[in-house]
Amino acid sequence: MQGWVTLALLLSLRVKRSLGQNGVGELPVPRGLTLSPDLPAQTLSLTWQSDSSLFDLEIFHTELMNVVLNETVAVKADPVTGLHSWTWHSPLPLECTSHSARIRARNQQSVSQWSPLQTIPGSDIPEKSESFMFPQDKVVPVGSNMTFCCIVKEKDDFKEMMYGRQEMSATRLSRRTYAITVTNQPASGNTGTNVICCSQRLTLTGAVVFVGYPPGDEGLVCETRDLASAECSWKKGRDTRLRMKRSRTKYTLNGRDCLEANERKTWWCGSKVWEESWTLVARNPLGTVQLTDSAQLTDRVHLLAPVNVTVVEVEAWSATLQWSWSVAAYKKLEMVCQLQLFAHELSSTRNYSGPGLSSVVLESLWPDVDYTVTLRCGSKHSFWKWGNESAPYRIHTKMDRPDALDVWIRMDSSNTGRVFWKPLSMRKSHGALVGYEVSQSSAEEDGRTPVSVPPGNFSYPIIPNNSSDITVAVAARNPAGLSQPSTVTTPAYRADSQLSVSKLLGTNGSFVLSWQPNLNASNGYAVEWVPTGCSGLCPVDWKKVPESDCSFTVNSDSLVAGVRYTVSVYSLSTGAPTLLQRWQGYSQEMIPSQSVSELSPSQTGSDVLLSWKATAMEHQRGFIRGYTVYLANAAHLDLIANISDPEVQSYRVKGLSPSSYKFVVKAYTSAGEDAGSTVDIKIEMDTADMLFVGILVPLGIMFCCLILISICCYKKREWVKKAFYPEIPGPKVPGDWSSPQGPLDVKPSPHSLVHIVENPERDFTKEGLFPVPEEEEESENDNIEVDTDSDEPALLRYYNQVVGDGSHSNQVSDSSGSSTASVGSTQTEITYAGIQSPTSSQGACRGGGYRPQMQSVAGPAEPQIEFEADFQDDALNTGYKPQCSWQLDSPEAENFTGSLGSPTSVTSSRFLIPESSEEKPQPSNTWFHNFLSGKS
Amino acid sequence: MEGAADSDTPVTERSAADRAAALARLLHRDCTRLLELYKERESFLSQHAPGGERLVTLALCPEALSTGEQVGHVRSALRRCMGLLECLIVREVEEMGEELEGEYESLRKTVRDRLGHLLHSTGALLEEGEGGCPPSPPLQCTEGQDEVEASGSFAAKIWTYRVLLELIHWTDSASQTLHLFHSEKHGQQQQLL
Repeated sequence: MQGWVTLALLLSLRVKRSLGQNGVGELPVPRGLTLSPDLPAQTLSLTWQSDSSLFDLEIFHTELMNVVLNETVAVKADPVTGLHSWTWHSPLPLECTSHSARIRARNQQSVSQWSPLQTIPGSDIPEKSESFMFPQDKVVPVGSNMTFCCIVKEKDDFKEMMYGRQEMSATRLSRRTYAITVTNQPASGNTGTNVICCSQRLTLTGAVVFVGYPPGDEGLVCETRDLASAECSWKKGRDTRLRMKRSRTKYTLNGRDCLEANERKTWWCGSKVWEESWTLVARNPLGTVQLTDSAQLTDRVHLLAPVNVTVVEVEAWSATLQWSWSVAAYKKLEMVCQLQLFAHELSSTRNYSGPGLSSVVLESLWPDVDYTVTLRCGSKHSFWKWGNESAPYRIHTKMDRPDALDVWIRMDSSNTGRVFWKPLSMRKSHGALVGYEVSQSSAEEDGRTPVSVPPGNFSYPIIPNNSSDITVAVAARNPAGLSQPSTVTTPAYRADSQLSVSKLLGTNGSFVLSWQPNLNASNGYAVEWVPTGCSGLCPVDWKKVPESDCSFTVNSDSLVAGVRYTVSVYSLSTGAPTLLQRWQGYSQEMIPSQSVSELSPSQTGSDVLLSWKATAMEHQRGFIRGYTVYLANAAHLDLIANISDPEVQSYRVKGLSPSSYKFVVKAYTSAGEDAGSTVDIKIEMDTADMLFVGILVPLGIMFCCLILISICCYKKREWVKKAFYPEIPGPKVPGDWSSPQGPLDVKPSPHSLVHIVENPERDFTKEGLFPVPEEEEESENDNIEVDTDSDEPALLRYYNQVVGDGSHSNQVSDSSGSSTASVGSTQTEITYAGIQSPTSSQGACRGGGYRPQMQSVAGPAEPQIEFEADFQDDALNTGYKPQCSWQLDSPEAENFTGSLGSPTSVTSSRFLIPESSEEKPQPSNTWFHNFLSGKS
Repeated sequence: MEGAADSDTPVTERSAADRAAALARLLHRDCTRLLELYKERESFLSQHAPGGERLVTLALCPEALSTGEQVGHVRSALRRCMGLLECLIVREVEEMGEELEGEYESLRKTVRDRLGHLLHSTGALLEEGEGGCPPSPPLQCTEGQDEVEASGSFAAKIWTYRVLLELIHWTDSASQTLHLFHSEKHGQQQQLL
């Protein structure tokens, strides 16, 4: 028996070893493979039977046998059914095309045979010839990827697929199926995103996909409004973008459908019974959100608004407010109510508490004020939140008598004053004022009739009695009555000049005052400030300070920058106020608004004295600290003086040279300088200086020039002589006259001696003929230039001598004799600079030598003939005759000014040497010529 | 009404047929505009017109030869269109809710109201002695809708498009028929006078 058992064991071990060594075929093939598709979920469940636990799976698109899955999975058998089950999620809708699957068992490296293929048919099988698009109406989250397939109609051809407006690239999966994959899908519009497929025959197939978000609701809070039921509310959160009814978010509260929210009108749910814990579930196709809340009912009381709010009693200072509740359960609830009173500048909030509160008395109201009241309440214990607010309710309080006025009196002079009072604020008037009543009394006369003052007036003039103080009483009146009168006694007038007024400097736009305490100030002190120099209706301001205070700050609100104030402190007692101290100052200094006036310059020699007057006080806008004096240049001001003493209002500018100056004088305060006043002045020289500069200097310059010219000409005298006064050839005469060295041995007739000289004063650049009296010749023959100075007289003399009266004929006739006689004269000298041309010399020789023309202008023709005859005789005698053939005063002379001095023919009026001659005659008989030529 | 100003005849003197024709013309324009708005919302329709059979087809009565009988025939089609339009509105409100209040939704309601007026006007004409085809039974929204519902939202959109096309077609047809009817009536009255 034991042997059979051993044999059996050995055989079984051998069989197992042989199976293991064999590999393929030895593992049993899985059996009963079945495919169960879940089309909406796009999943395919595979179930099979096998003893193995490791399997190879393959899934194909059947038609083209494209492998879409090849995976080895470990799947254990279900202990109950003994079946292996595995689920595959397909990225492609399973309807798109047929899918086939097979499976084999695996044990490490050994595998079984594949199971037979199992196939689930798609919608592209020939039996379904219509066109399709998958998936339909899918709801997916934003950003997801998705594959759509289009099955074209049988015998039709695919054309295109579009996702929304975008054409997509399609992939062919089978004979009729095409697919597109869309990645990162954006949120859809209201009606979803359309995916369409178009065939060549324009057959339109499509699907709609809804891309959105899962619910985003949050913040569930439950509370009670009626102390019994519950209202739970929450925040909607992000829009899911899913508008279609089937994909909207559905809400349940503690498992019950929330009708209010599911109708999409509100985000709250109600429950008739309070539950201590609440769970809200928000669900849409893309996800679920669960919100919870838990609380006791008393901790979540949210009261409704009070109703029927009304006022049952209104007084000037109080009112009684009443209301009711719409929920009866509130009457026992310990609650706190808040009243909000709204009024102009009088708003306030007041809290009241009590069980089932339904009325309150409003105290501390102000008379004649319109109040608007709103009311809200909450549970006092475990306060949760304020309930709803009631509708606004209006209350108008009654009027009351005004408060007493704040009065002050100011004396403008010893016999005039004015009582001032401050307007009452709304809080103090207690009703619209209708006016004021002012009455005054003195020790002598008491109880004068009060004077009514309109409500717009805040002062009243007072004429004090010199003999006694006057007490003024002022009261305000409104429809409710008259206020308590405020009294003030006229103080003694004290002018500024009678006091030592201190200078007051502002601090940050305010005046900080302090004074010594006064024992008489039983009623405190009064600080008064008023613009300095103001009288009559001045903007007087004051403040009454308690007795204990000896300091006060006048705020900048009541002060104007740049205005000088007079600040006075009075002690107040039962009698008249007594002035204690007085200041003047600026809360804030500014630069003067006007420049210094009457700026005037005064010259003293080279100094200028500038003087001016200070600006008027209202324009100073600060304490004048001094003046600056500038010299204005073209583009800038040069500071020449800074006068730090404001009393000094003049300045002397010294040592100015003659010129024009512009001075600018500016006054300055601590804030700076004003714009400045400008004055111009022109500095002129003294008379002595002007004489020196105007006369002596030009004379000196002229003298120096003359000396320089003289020296220069002397140094270059040879050149000057050659250039301007060349040597004049001597007249050529036959016979013994030809000798230029010797003097003529003819003694001229005393009346025919002629000098031919140039007359420069006639502006003649030619020679002139001047008769020289015999008696003068003898005395002046050594200084010929003296004759050049004579003009007309010489001509006249010559004329008288040559042309003369009838006695001259004898003289002329004697001239030949005289010429002959003149041969022996040693004093005869002919200076004739214009005759140089050889031609003319020859001409003169042709006529038997030079013969000056002697033609009488004014004389009768008869003498002229005589003269010609005489000259002919003279020509034979070759004697010299002075030429005088033109009249200087005749118009013709002007035409021949260029030829004046030239010799002329005795028979013609034309000049013998015309101006066109290349060699012009040069003047040779001037003193300068002699000087240059070295003649004495 | 815009159509009331289309004729030079004073309103008080206009015949019922004339007013009905003017209303049909106005309704035709409204339906055309409604389809434009729908195309703007569903962009794919601007490029791809869906095919398919007509939704409203009526077999002509063998004796329906007169103009009055044609009016009755058109009225039957309009009643069918009215039924389709009401189904369309119910369906869209069901799907989208009543929150959407754009121009499309507003005009859709206007078309329904005016179509009701036109049916009433043409019904009054026929009651004056102009017979016609027997009235077609009222359309139930569930008829044929299951198939549409099963096909999904896209099929519903296509169906909506086709309903709007039917509305355009039959309001145009009603406008022409009523105008012809009015002309004949007017001619007869002139002859009698």
